[in-house]
Amino acid sequence: MAQARTVGLRMTPAQRRRRLLKNIWDSRYMYLLLLPGVLFFAMFRYVPMYGIQLAWKEFTANLGVTGSPWVGWEKFRFLFAEADFWNSLRNTLVIAGMQLLFVFPFPIILAILFNEVRQAGPKRVMQIVLTFPHFLSWVILSSIIANLLGNNGMVNNIIVAMGGEKVNFLMNKAVFRWLLIFSLMWKESGWNAILYMATITSIDPSLYEAATIDGANRWHKVRYITWPGIATIVTATFILRIGSIMDAGYMQVLNLYNPAVYEVGDILDTYIYRITFEKAPDYGVSTAVGMFKGVVNAVLMLTAEFVSRKFNGEGLF
Amino acid sequence: MTAQARGQGALHAGKSKLNRMTFTDVWIMAFLVFFSLLVFYPFYNSVLISITPQAVYIREPFMLWPKALDKSSYQYVFENKAIWSGMITTIQITLIGTAYNVFLTVTMAYALNHSFPGKKFVIAFIMFTMYFSGGLIPTYMMIKDVGLMNTLWAMILPSGVSISYLMVMRKFFQSIPEEVEESAKIDGANDLIIMFRVVLPLALPMVITFVIYYGVERWNEWYNGLLYIKSASKMPLQLVLRQIVQNSQSIQASESMQEAGITPFGDGIKMAAVIVTMFPVMVLYPFLQKYFVSGLTVGAVKG
Repeated sequence: MAQARTVGLRMTPAQRRRRLLKNIWDSRYMYLLLLPGVLFFAMFRYVPMYGIQLAWKEFTANLGVTGSPWVGWEKFRFLFAEADFWNSLRNTLVIAGMQLLFVFPFPIILAILFNEVRQAGPKRVMQIVLTFPHFLSWVILSSIIANLLGNNGMVNNIIVAMGGEKVNFLMNKAVFRWLLIFSLMWKESGWNAILYMATITSIDPSLYEAATIDGANRWHKVRYITWPGIATIVTATFILRIGSIMDAGYMQVLNLYNPAVYEVGDILDTYIYRITFEKAPDYGVSTAVGMFKGVVNAVLMLTAEFVSRKFNGEGLF
Repeated sequence: MTAQARGQGALHAGKSKLNRMTFTDVWIMAFLVFFSLLVFYPFYNSVLISITPQAVYIREPFMLWPKALDKSSYQYVFENKAIWSGMITTIQITLIGTAYNVFLTVTMAYALNHSFPGKKFVIAFIMFTMYFSGGLIPTYMMIKDVGLMNTLWAMILPSGVSISYLMVMRKFFQSIPEEVEESAKIDGANDLIIMFRVVLPLALPMVITFVIYYGVERWNEWYNGLLYIKSASKMPLQLVLRQIVQNSQSIQASESMQEAGITPFGDGIKMAAVIVTMFPVMVLYPFLQKYFVSGLTVGAVKG
């Protein structure tokens, strides 16, 4: 490698260009293999970006995206005066914050507990059960939740049987956010625990043996061996989650919420969806919300990447 | 578990104290079993509702086992034309879509595991889309402008490469020894032949893992359908389910039921539709779980 570099330094520009051309020719099959993927990213990730200009335009269908007149920052001014926008921003941050507080730590606890279980059979069965919901869509899960918590559902019938009053969970502002939190734990805890369990498995078993000989009890081992062993991956996932705090579960909310709980459940993504496809849409305002979210998101993700490099010595991706 | 690890377990068993169920062990087990039952019961309950007659369900909605069986909910679901057309659409999306996903991901990951001029630019080109995207409306306008609206392709083409899967696949290619490729190269094979004939067969377990991941995602497709599909006959299964569940008026007695004087059992039909929709995942999952998990662990444990 070092030798190749010194050879490169001694080459004339013409030689260097010829070598580059030869490298490109030698890599022709690599470019061929890249082509389909690159075309995909160009077509479905980059081309749509031309539509971003709509945030500064008064869109009229017959004039098209490029033909519609410019209106400056009018859409953003309108947006920042909308109470619904601020409400959805607040909900996004509150719900994502609750997820960080409750949904994030639970799989770590699960993984540590699973590591203490030595009966291989029951452990495997429980893991299959716990990871299963991850592979179902929110359409399916919300159908099951609506049935379970509905007016004639099992939960209400138990409440009535115990002498309580029926609760309309899905339309109740006081419980809706908790419904989001618990249903997310139901879906993802087992799956997210796998990541931590795999990391725990890679901890050197001799550490545990040595600790046992030194008289460490179970709690000591969790505190001084298991926890330090997974701390890096926990920090990385935590930073990643902070970086995507503007995502509070679009698909989940879109399937579970209804007008009765917009006040506490409407998040930025569902707000964009609502103003785009309900009533009289203003594409300019919708795009402006998307722009707002996209820019904040990008800044947060770049910060997360920076913080991760600083603390863990490597980037997130 | 390797034979060696099992041997170690036996060694511990010899030291008796380590393998006895202590008080803490019992509590940990109890908690995990309780949580597993909590996760499991809603699915089991849905199955029970779908096979129970309405009268029995109303009397006793908290069931541990079915007191009486009734197949009318499934009959209703299978007489529903929307379910069938949804199933056909979803099968098409799953087959074509998964092939498209895996092809794009594998070719790209393979190339990115080699060095070539401009590689840094290609990586930046891909990574940028993680940080910033056009958003809902711009994507919607683009699908509209290229004439994909209300076609099967609108649900297939926009989801091509998942960047996290791409990274895991590349990491897996990295783990295959370079000598494998080098010796094939000496034999005069070009990169394409090496990839398809030499490396891919070695990477087959990983490729299968991604076939399954993408396949499940495709089976779960509904959102692009919600955005881009206007005609009911082209809706994917999950979207049909969503409409059945969210719109109770959509459940009406069929002709044969009217003749027999039966009122449809709404909850039973909804749950039967749920079970039918999740059936392939439900049946295959326990057998394929090791593939599901392997994709995650390759990506997690950084080498």
